Amino acid sequence: MSQLEKILIIDDEVQIRRLLEITLSASGYKVYEASTAKEGCVLAASVSPSLIILDLGLPDADGQDVLLRLREWYTNPIIILSVRNSEDDIVRALDSGANDYLTKPFRTGELLARMRAASRKTEGEQEAVLDFGDLRIDLSRHLVILKDVIIKLTTTEYSLLVLLAKNEDRVLTHAFILKEVWGYHYADQPQCLRVFVAQLRKKIEEDPARPRYLITEPGIGYRFRGE
Amino acid sequence: MKRHFSSSWYEYLIVIFIVVVSSLICYFITDLAGYRVVSFVLLFVVSLLAFIYGTGPVLLASALSALIWNFFFIPPHLTLHIDNTEDMLMFVMFFIVALLNGVLTSQVRQRESVIKQREERTQALFQLTKSLSEENDISKLKKMIVVGIRKYFHIDSMVFLSDDIDALNTDGVKTVTSMPHNEIVAMMDCFNRSEPGGRYFSLYPDNRYSYYPMIGNHMKTGMIVLLHQNKFTDDEMQFWEAYLSQISGRFEREILNRIAQKAFILDESDKLYKTLFNSVSHEFRIPVTTILAATDTLMSEQYPENVQLQLLTEINIASIRLNQLIENLLNISRLESGRLSLRVNWYDFHDVINEVTKTLKQELQYYHLTVNIPDDLPMVKIDFGLIEQVIHNLLLNVTQYVPQNTDIIVDVHLSGEILTIKIKDQGSGFSFDDITHIFDKFYRGKSDKTGGTGLGLSIVKGFIEAHKGSVVVYNHPSGGAVFEIKIPVEFSNVNDVEKLS
Repeated sequence: MSQLEKILIIDDEVQIRRLLEITLSASGYKVYEASTAKEGCVLAASVSPSLIILDLGLPDADGQDVLLRLREWYTNPIIILSVRNSEDDIVRALDSGANDYLTKPFRTGELLARMRAASRKTEGEQEAVLDFGDLRIDLSRHLVILKDVIIKLTTTEYSLLVLLAKNEDRVLTHAFILKEVWGYHYADQPQCLRVFVAQLRKKIEEDPARPRYLITEPGIGYRFRGE
Repeated sequence: MKRHFSSSWYEYLIVIFIVVVSSLICYFITDLAGYRVVSFVLLFVVSLLAFIYGTGPVLLASALSALIWNFFFIPPHLTLHIDNTEDMLMFVMFFIVALLNGVLTSQVRQRESVIKQREERTQALFQLTKSLSEENDISKLKKMIVVGIRKYFHIDSMVFLSDDIDALNTDGVKTVTSMPHNEIVAMMDCFNRSEPGGRYFSLYPDNRYSYYPMIGNHMKTGMIVLLHQNKFTDDEMQFWEAYLSQISGRFEREILNRIAQKAFILDESDKLYKTLFNSVSHEFRIPVTTILAATDTLMSEQYPENVQLQLLTEINIASIRLNQLIENLLNISRLESGRLSLRVNWYDFHDVINEVTKTLKQELQYYHLTVNIPDDLPMVKIDFGLIEQVIHNLLLNVTQYVPQNTDIIVDVHLSGEILTIKIKDQGSGFSFDDITHIFDKFYRGKSDKTGGTGLGLSIVKGFIEAHKGSVVVYNHPSGGAVFEIKIPVEFSNVNDVEKLS
């Protein structure tokens, strides 16, 4: 790739921007910075970055509004930066189109991994088999194979696993998963989802208490970790 | 009570009816017994009536029966004229006895009703004192008083505490209620003068409402506004004053309480402030110093890679420590503010432990951590963030005080609706002093050599209490300390969701 991938950072803290600029440039990205929502929206339109990192706490506008405004036309990934203890804000942002989130303070390694995961195209992933080493999901034959043994899953467990696995490394909110697997009526019953995740873990995790694949994002949702 | 003095018209009608009917019956027995016996029968009827009806009807009955006796029974019949001196005397006696009878009986009854009324009022005052002392919520107290006044005095009222009146002073009068502007101004003036005013008083006699200041032993506590229909009688006034003094005393106590509480909070926050300066600034300085020194070294000269890595590790550790400190300060201020609200939801307790062990990975790597959670532990309803912080602080505490390469055992189980979490270490345990004060804010162990603000465990206690639970620490007989948390929880019945599969 001759042209560098463009990343836009919208954050009012100059030190965070500087840090991200250093880290991301070193990782081979071209970085654009904005310190206000207004500036951010203008830059997003003029440089059309391949990913935006958006801080929810901006001085001139509510981050949620900025997100909605960007999502009216911007289709590439958006990663949210937020403070701790704001699960509600994060869920809201994810449900209104953000692809992932990180809470401050965050580790840059984690950020880079999230950026890579968010940029991977889901649509292109029409492989017949999802392969995660020990765990393989054969989509064409509806089979889940763990260490060469076929695992028996109920239909619901299977759809849940496939949904999460197809979105490898991405956080999916409770509401999103419930809607996708059970339909609209169940969107407000996360405790049911938790029961199914627990059942699924018992079947595919070596140690269900310390899951390797099905990771809980407390108060937000679940993430499937491939490696 | 007033009905003994002013009876309604139908009582007069009934009395007339009874006297007439009795006379009719007597008319038929006169031939047998003679007209003088009739006078006794009629007197008897009047005395009976005095037991049931008030003075007015009884007076009427006496007069009417005297006239009837004269007119129909004393010869010559059908005239008011009396020939016989004996009959004349008898008629006068009859009238006087009937009158006395009626008046005396009704007086006895009146006295009885006064006693009854007094008893009722004593009871009312007693009830008031009792219910006032049981209620602590100011707005509920006010409502209780308004209801009481309506019940015992049949009067609508409003209660204004001195705070409310201050608010009226600053916010402007129009913000308030159904009272007209001029009435409120008058009420506030009476409050300032500490005098009653309004209707039935010399101050503002033309107003519709009456204003009574509530004056306790030490201060004015507010005003009560009454919408009288009638002026209080002396008796009612006495009762009202007793009632008012009870109310004033109660509010005074409440206000004094609040002042004391405020002083306590001020004292506490003063302590918090000082400790922040002494201990926290020190706590902040260490990691900051580390970071400054390490980065300085890294920037100034080219050191070998392994030295660089060591310095970077130090910076990393210092940053984590800083972050921990900020977390604790935020949490303690959430607790201090008293505005900590639980955000409970269904969680798998494994997730709590996993989150904590993830963030404490570095600290825990030198210990053998065993987590025992039964396989069938249902989902429990907790505030994830708070419980995570609790477990985090407890485990971090262990790693700070207990020698490395020892066991840490976390036991979680649910019995009934109580979730119990035990964290057991193999350290040297705690002294008696430590055990009694360990959860106090800013308390630091006597043999404490590590840094720390003494906030971590008080946060644990605060967050567990927010869950209506309890936390204790004790030394295990086989050595080491045990932190034991018990919280009442709702847990999910897995069968409820089977239908979804």
